[in-house]
Amino acid sequence: MRYADFTPYDIVLLLQGLGVTLALFVGTTVIGLLLGLLLAVVHHYRVPGCRPVIVVVTEALKNSPVLVQLFLVFFGIPAFLHVRMTPVEAATLTISLNTAAFAFVIFRSGIESIEREQIEAAEVFGLSRARILRLIIAPQAAAFAVGPLIGILVNQLQVTSLISVIGVFDLTKIGNILNLRTLQPFIVWAVIGLIYYTAAKTLAHFGGRIEAALRKSAQWGGI
Amino acid sequence: MIVAENVEKRFGDMPVLKRVNLTVAPGEVVTILGASGSGKSTLIRCINGLEQLSGGRITVDGHDVSTKAGLVAARRASATVFQLFNLYPHMTALGNITLAPIEVLKLPKAEAEARGRALLERVGLSAHADAYPQQLSGGQRQRVGICRALAMQPRYLLLDEVTSALDPEMTGDVLRILAELAADGTTMVFVTHEIEFARHISSRIVFLEQGELIVDLPTADFFAEEGGLAVPRIRQFLSKLKKD
Repeated sequence: MRYADFTPYDIVLLLQGLGVTLALFVGTTVIGLLLGLLLAVVHHYRVPGCRPVIVVVTEALKNSPVLVQLFLVFFGIPAFLHVRMTPVEAATLTISLNTAAFAFVIFRSGIESIEREQIEAAEVFGLSRARILRLIIAPQAAAFAVGPLIGILVNQLQVTSLISVIGVFDLTKIGNILNLRTLQPFIVWAVIGLIYYTAAKTLAHFGGRIEAALRKSAQWGGI
Repeated sequence: MIVAENVEKRFGDMPVLKRVNLTVAPGEVVTILGASGSGKSTLIRCINGLEQLSGGRITVDGHDVSTKAGLVAARRASATVFQLFNLYPHMTALGNITLAPIEVLKLPKAEAEARGRALLERVGLSAHADAYPQQLSGGQRQRVGICRALAMQPRYLLLDEVTSALDPEMTGDVLRILAELAADGTTMVFVTHEIEFARHISSRIVFLEQGELIVDLPTADFFAEEGGLAVPRIRQFLSKLKKD
């Protein structure tokens, strides 16, 4: 067997890479969605001074390349603030913020899709702001947001491949290693692409089921 | 008792209510008449705290609606039915009705639902308890809106043009229910264009003209030649409605 041949151990390598990709994706999704939701709520309640800041920052994140954001965080922040930052930390921070920016926009439109009149009715009947948010706004905004959010998340899963550039050993980085060793780019990248494809399709499938379940319990047909 | 004293409301520079005085005692049905834009709905929205007063004072059973604690108490004493129903579209008819009793009055769910079902039966909608608002006609939605208000067992029912968005047949259904409520002694503040109906159920009629409350008379006097009809603006208003 030559050094350049594929070995059974390569499968372990691929699984490790997939594990890193998925872990990073899940982690940044959780952080990103929570942060995006928080921003949308803060924006909704017009917390003084917050609206312009949120809008400027999220617009910047949405309208600049993720790779540039990644470089800014990985090289820029340590140089500027004199702190250490590992590739995984930089990747987590960047993609979380990027997901949060897109999630914010979706949650915001979800909240804004709810007519003012319903909220007035709930106010008049004595429901507190927190209850109105939880019982009136959240269920409707969730049904509105779930479809677009799944679309964004499928995209963000692909975006994680960029983090290989700063040295995170994700699926794409493993692909790079295998490619350099075997010099079989067509096979390596086809397999890597297929794994991403399968992961994305699985995500979309379960997302679709969540969406169907949400809409079923919300069969008012207004959305 | 609902007491409005020298109530002023401006939207920007535009005055909408000008030193309005109005008292509604328990058991009364007070109808507010006036042309579109005369401030009728705004007055209701000032009573239930959806608009902040620019001047004057409104109290509901002594609770000042411009204070935070007073507004909570005032909103507990009254309930509003809206022109466009304002139902929660993601909840069933029963869910719409039981939400505030469960969350605000802290009724047990079973008790709130029993109350809700009894109200739906009363308005002829017991078969539609599990329907969502989208699945109901306008008249049915408004009857759910009335049930939602009644489920709070309010001392005062505020009705803001509740039939304006309905066709005549559905209007009849809703008015029949309101007439029953009036006969039961429910206190109501009623903004409407249904003049004949107002004449039938009201104990008093007040007339708003460009934000000023120009007439406040018992119903019989309001329609008497030497009473309300002696006011040229009211004679004009009523004759116009009759022509329509």
